Parts: sequence; structure tokens; C-alpha cells
Amino acid sequence: MNDADSKMLVRKIEEGTVIDHIPDWKADVVSAVLRLANLSRLEADASVAILQNVASKTLGRKDVIKIDRWHVDEREADILCLIFPSITINYINDWKVSKYAPQVPDMIEGRIRCPEVTCISNGEREPVTPKFATLKRDRSLQCHYCDTVIDFEEVPGLVKA
Amino acid sequence: MASKPDFFGRDIVSMRDFDRGQLELIFQQTAALEKTPEGLEGALDGKLAVLLFFEPSTRTYSSFQVAAETLGLRVSGFSNPKGSSVSKGETLHDTIRMFEGYGADCFVIRHGRMGAARFAAEITDVPVINAGDGRREHPTQAMIDLYTIRKAFGKLDGLKVGIMGDLRFGRTPSSLSYGLSNYQAELCFIAPDALQVRPEVESFLNQHGVTSSKETNLKSVAETLDVLYVTRIQKERIPDPTEYERVKKLYEVDLAALKDMKPSLKILHPLPRVGELTTEVDSTIFAQYFAQAASGLPLRMALLNMILGGAG
Repeated sequence: MNDADSKMLVRKIEEGTVIDHIPDWKADVVSAVLRLANLSRLEADASVAILQNVASKTLGRKDVIKIDRWHVDEREADILCLIFPSITINYINDWKVSKYAPQVPDMIEGRIRCPEVTCISNGEREPVTPKFATLKRDRSLQCHYCDTVIDFEEVPGLVKA
Repeated sequence: MASKPDFFGRDIVSMRDFDRGQLELIFQQTAALEKTPEGLEGALDGKLAVLLFFEPSTRTYSSFQVAAETLGLRVSGFSNPKGSSVSKGETLHDTIRMFEGYGADCFVIRHGRMGAARFAAEITDVPVINAGDGRREHPTQAMIDLYTIRKAFGKLDGLKVGIMGDLRFGRTPSSLSYGLSNYQAELCFIAPDALQVRPEVESFLNQHGVTSSKETNLKSVAETLDVLYVTRIQKERIPDPTEYERVKKLYEVDLAALKDMKPSLKILHPLPRVGELTTEVDSTIFAQYFAQAASGLPLRMALLNMILGGAG
């Protein structure tokens, strides 16, 4: 199936988000990071279409996620682009497509938990928001509190539910 | 003895927050206090130091307590969480808030969780001194260590410093390494592979252009060292008792080990020691660890005075 055919599989959307150029068979990771399983509770009108392993000129094969009637938060988009640099995010408003240029954030707060059990951010009942500094050159994050370093590839397993 | 405005109200959370100039100022203030110990008596009369030791400590707690009291500070808090509301589950956050309400002018905190001091510094405007946060750092100990080395050699640049023992779970090796990165010193990490220097420490040193190496055997580098910093390898880090006995012998310092070393070598240890540094070494010219411990009092007095803006 070529790129044009894959576009026919899912209709165009008036309002929403298209997450394109996801590495093949990784859409479930993106879905978990965005907590799309919770979307039905938040946005009754939203719907999600997932294409997997479709042809791509740039990647050879790719996954695509189309979310109708919901815009992915830009900070979450930035995290996705950390994990999968190939990802492109398009916001659809009134049928018009605008491409989002992700920023690699200097700090990520709240979305990722620290894997170090003895970190204060995992302290029972302590009101600590986990924070990580981005080490772009090393493709890793460093915990602001305990200095533990995690690779970008570990992030999906550490995303808070 | 004037304190630079830089230090007033500042937190002491990590050695990475200090540059060479700031460390040298701390050392100058410490040296002045060693000359005239009565110089700052009562300088901070009426202020309140709160010592919160969520992990038991004798040495560090006592030196901060005596330092504070000599400066005229009132001292509150606890040296052991047992018997305090912490043992009932009160959080660090709430403990800080409570003592803020009592008028704390500074906190000195030892906690089992890494990052505790940084968190505390973020939730209060009262200056926070990190007295050890898990295995992460112990910045005032590192300042004492650097001061001791500097006093013994008249410098820190150009020295080769061996840091030995449990480098992975020890907070003093980390802080000392960060502190030495401000100087032209060469570091040599001597430890079993499983207890070697942590990746984030090594990464920091690389980024700051520090020359460092890793060894598993003291004997192989002993004669090249100017300073040997000894730390304990705890039994629980090496579960196999036979293996533990074999490994710990490689990292012990006794009279026999001294034969390989430069006559000018200085041996430091943050104490307490168990068996890794034998008592027969105490009376040799190499032993610097008791002088090191004694420097803790004037250095901590100097820090408290600088942070709380005492007269001098």
C-alpha cells in the first residue's frame, strides 16, 4: 500500500491532531504517553484512528494516529518528539492543517516519574512534582532532585498514568 | 571578618553550586576562625538554627550543634527521627513548614531520600544546608575535605587524588569529586567494578574537563597519589561473605600499604571508620583524618556566619 492509499483509509478531519511519522509498530507507545485510553472520559466527542505499518516515503514504514476533536497539548507533543524524533504533529482547525514545530524542552515537569526509588520525588505523601532536565546531546533526562539519568528510550515506561 | 553578600541567605545543597572563588572565600573564613576561635562567639545571638536529622548522626549533628551554639544561635530540631512526629509519618514538607512557623533562620537537613535538601530549599525561603541526602551529596563534608587538603599542601591544583572505597553508594566521594572539579586536580577512582563512581558524576567530570581514571586495585596506583581519600565498603554491598572479605582487603590501608606511597601523601577519611583504615596509621605523618574532623567545627561556623550575615 502506498502513501496515497493509506490516506484513503482514514477520512480527513475538521478539528483535531494528526501524529505522523511514528516509527512502525510504535503507535501503542505514543498512545500510552498521551493516555489516549482516558480520552473517552475527558472528551465524549473525540475519536482516535490508528494506522500501523503503512508505507512512508521517508521512513519506509510508519504508524499514524489521527485524533478527531482533540488537540494534543504542546508539552506532550514535545515529549513525544524527544522519544521519537521522526514524529511530526499537525493541528487541524476548521479543516486547515498547521504543522507544529516541537521544541526540545529544557525541563519536563510532572509527566514522568523518577525510576530511583529513594528519590524525594517518590517520597510517600511528599508534595514533590518530578522534574527532569533535558540532556539533548546525550539523548537523556536527568532528575532535578536525585541526578539519576534516564535515556529518552526509557521515557515511555516512566510516563505517569 | 566581613562576609561577602553572595552568601547571605544562600542554600548549600550541592557542591556543583559553588565555584572556585566561593570555595576559597569559605576557606579564608575558616582559616581566620581557626586562628581566633573566639572571633565569632555570639555573632548570631538570638537567631534560630533548626537541625533536622531524619537519619541518625553523631559527628555531623554535633559539629553543627556546637558551631551554632558557639555563634549564639538557639538550636532546635532532632538528631534522630524516633520520638518525633516524623516517626508518625509526618512529611519533610510539613516538618519544614512547622519550624518555619517557629521562626527558623536556617535549616540543616540530613535525609535518607536523594534530593531532599533541594526540595526543602525550594519550599522555604529560609536557607537550607544539606547535611547529607541519601547517597547523593554531603557538600559541607566536601568543603572540609578540600580545606584539609589545601591546608596540608598549600594548594589543590596539580594534585593527584585517589578516592577509594564505595563510590557508588557513598555521598562523600561524589561531593568531593564535584568540589575538586574547580581545581586542576587529577582524580583516580579506586573501587571494585560494582562500586565504581556513578555515571552522572563521571559525566559531570568529563563535561568539565577533569582528568580522571578508574582502578580496581590500590597497589597499582599507590605510589602516584598525593592524597588518598578512604571510604568504607559496607558489608551489605557485597552479599557473599567470602567475596566481601576478599574484596575489602584490596581497599584497606595499613602500615604495609603505606610502604608503596609517597612520603608526602596525605590520607583522609570522612569517618567513622570500621576496619578499612587501621589505627596503626594514626600516628604516621600520612594521617590527616583527625585534623580533617577537627576542621569541621570552624568551617561550619564560618558557613553559618556567612549565610546568616553575622557581624565580623
